[in-house]
Amino acid sequence: MHAMKSRLRSPAWLLEAFVATNLLFLVVDIALAHSVNEFAHPAEWIPLWFSGLAGLALGATLLAEDPRRGGAGRLREVLGWLAVAVGVSGLLWHLSGEFFQEFALASLVYSAPFVAPLAYTGLGLLLLLNRRLDADEDFAWGQWVLFLAFAGVAGNFGLSLADHARNGFFDWREWIAVGTAALGVGGVLVAILWPRSVPARQVAWVVLAAQVVVGLGGFALHAAPLFDHPSLEGLAGRVIYGPPIFAPLLFVNLALPAALGLWVMGGWREHASR
Amino acid sequence: MESFRAVFVAVFVGTSLVVGAVLLNQRRPELERSLPTADLVRATGQCASCHRDETAAVVEQYDRSAHNRAGINCLQCHGPADGQEGVEHRGFEITPAVTSANCAQCHAEQYDQFLRSRHAAPAYAAVTGPDPFTPEQVAFAERYHPGAVNRPANELALLEGESAIRSGCATCHAVGRPNADGSIGTCTQCHARHQASVELAREPRTCGQCHMGPDHSQLEIYEESKHGVIFHAMRDELNLAAPPDELTTADMSVPTCATCHMSGLEGAGVTHDVTERLSWWLFAPVSERRPTYLQGQDAMKSLCNTCHAASRTDAFYAAAEEVVADTNDKVAAAGALMDSLRAEGHLTPAPYDESADLVYFDLWHYYGRTAKHGAFMGGADFVQWHGNYELLAKTVELREIARELREREVR
Repeated sequence: MHAMKSRLRSPAWLLEAFVATNLLFLVVDIALAHSVNEFAHPAEWIPLWFSGLAGLALGATLLAEDPRRGGAGRLREVLGWLAVAVGVSGLLWHLSGEFFQEFALASLVYSAPFVAPLAYTGLGLLLLLNRRLDADEDFAWGQWVLFLAFAGVAGNFGLSLADHARNGFFDWREWIAVGTAALGVGGVLVAILWPRSVPARQVAWVVLAAQVVVGLGGFALHAAPLFDHPSLEGLAGRVIYGPPIFAPLLFVNLALPAALGLWVMGGWREHASR
Repeated sequence: MESFRAVFVAVFVGTSLVVGAVLLNQRRPELERSLPTADLVRATGQCASCHRDETAAVVEQYDRSAHNRAGINCLQCHGPADGQEGVEHRGFEITPAVTSANCAQCHAEQYDQFLRSRHAAPAYAAVTGPDPFTPEQVAFAERYHPGAVNRPANELALLEGESAIRSGCATCHAVGRPNADGSIGTCTQCHARHQASVELAREPRTCGQCHMGPDHSQLEIYEESKHGVIFHAMRDELNLAAPPDELTTADMSVPTCATCHMSGLEGAGVTHDVTERLSWWLFAPVSERRPTYLQGQDAMKSLCNTCHAASRTDAFYAAAEEVVADTNDKVAAAGALMDSLRAEGHLTPAPYDESADLVYFDLWHYYGRTAKHGAFMGGADFVQWHGNYELLAKTVELREIARELREREVR
């Protein structure tokens, strides 16, 4: 019980728990995303299997005494690099999509989202970062986590824009997501540019809170058609072909590592003095 | 100051991104953004993102089509039209079969013209009789083509069997097949599916998919005619893709089937009623004038006169009608011989069960028609060797059969 409490206060452990849960959640997310084209290419199964196996392995090592040392530590190193590789190779696969055959705005909107696989790269880099920097010792730990979260927030802005452009921003509320994602980029950027500025971090906190609220609201809006979609029959069809149900949760998800980074950056002196 | 700087930069960056997003979205074609439903907007690109891999050719064909240039997207044709039941397909509701009902949503006038033509219900009824049609469809078609739908199913086709009908007769005659949605026919028979091409419909070979062979050898006759020869010689200089309403002799200085029978060449009204400019029922054993003989002939002659002197056109028509009259006499004589043999009990009442039936059928159905079509299309060899010579040969053969049958009775 005591060990669990201390882990929950450990930014490094929380970061790896974040990575493990993300990997496991990606099993569902990839299953839905690649179901749209019915896993047309066998390679589309790779991220699904990797997410499941890596998520389980990482989750198991989180229960080890000191997750960052010994065999568990080496496993993290391997998983980290593998995740980077999966992300980059996924990016290359997606790059062969329509947008790069026909360089046009419309085809960008309807191509496979080529930045999406970089989620794996981000998660892998978080694992590698955690092996190389000590959250309790290095101020840079928080900066790097915030920077990687920033990359995710920027990617989320692009995905949010492309996803909603797909149906022509048919509902004006779709602009809320784009606006909030854009504000997220600005807010987190401020904390990266002036990491030791308390007001800058406060702006980032406010912006992250907005991301969470909009993400949860968006999730509710995206989930609504599950119960009443005029042209889709069956739950599976509605989940796969309806509005991407989990996409708004990316706002919430990215706010977590960003908050972790801000938390460590804000309390670093306190940690260092202990 | 620090607070202001932080807030200012965050808001400035965020606002810049939103403004950029709005501007980027406005760069999308208005046609894509102003569609009436979100599904239609999504269809502007979503369909191709899968079908470029799964059925690449149709995407390529569509990319080159006038529909694409006009901003018509997949769902506008593949979405269920009135009377069609939609099926779910990867997030879209589509119709399993695109019929003329889908085309008629935008091309209503062309569809109405087509419905009045012999390409519609009469074409399919020539194989099946009236059974597949609703009483309303039968009544409508009979107004324009008396006896063309309310007729027995084709006796020869019935003898040949279901597979011959399905893969043979019906393949062409499906141009007038009734659809489950209440419409008739498919425009794609001539325009193809994803090309939706005017150019293709003007190609002689498109008509020649069906209008060929011994029973209606229009394509072969055209190829032999001066029109056909010049067409092939000048093919590269012609603009077959010219808009129908704006077609001039500068686009097509030599006609194809569609130019004479359907086009709006030099201001003539475009029509999808391919029977509108016809004056004779040439397909019949003994041809008669159509009820719209004068209108049909005037309409066709005015097209001819776009390129030819009126006196030349009149002379051409007079000569062709002479061939029709002579062919009628020859076929009528053969028909009278068949009637007398049947009356004398030398032939059974059943169709196509004796060699005399088939000789007579060949006589009018192949060679009689060929002579008449050849005369109206400038195919001299088809008037003579493929037409009249064969008419004579079959007449002699039929007389020989008659003589043998009668002699057999005497013995």
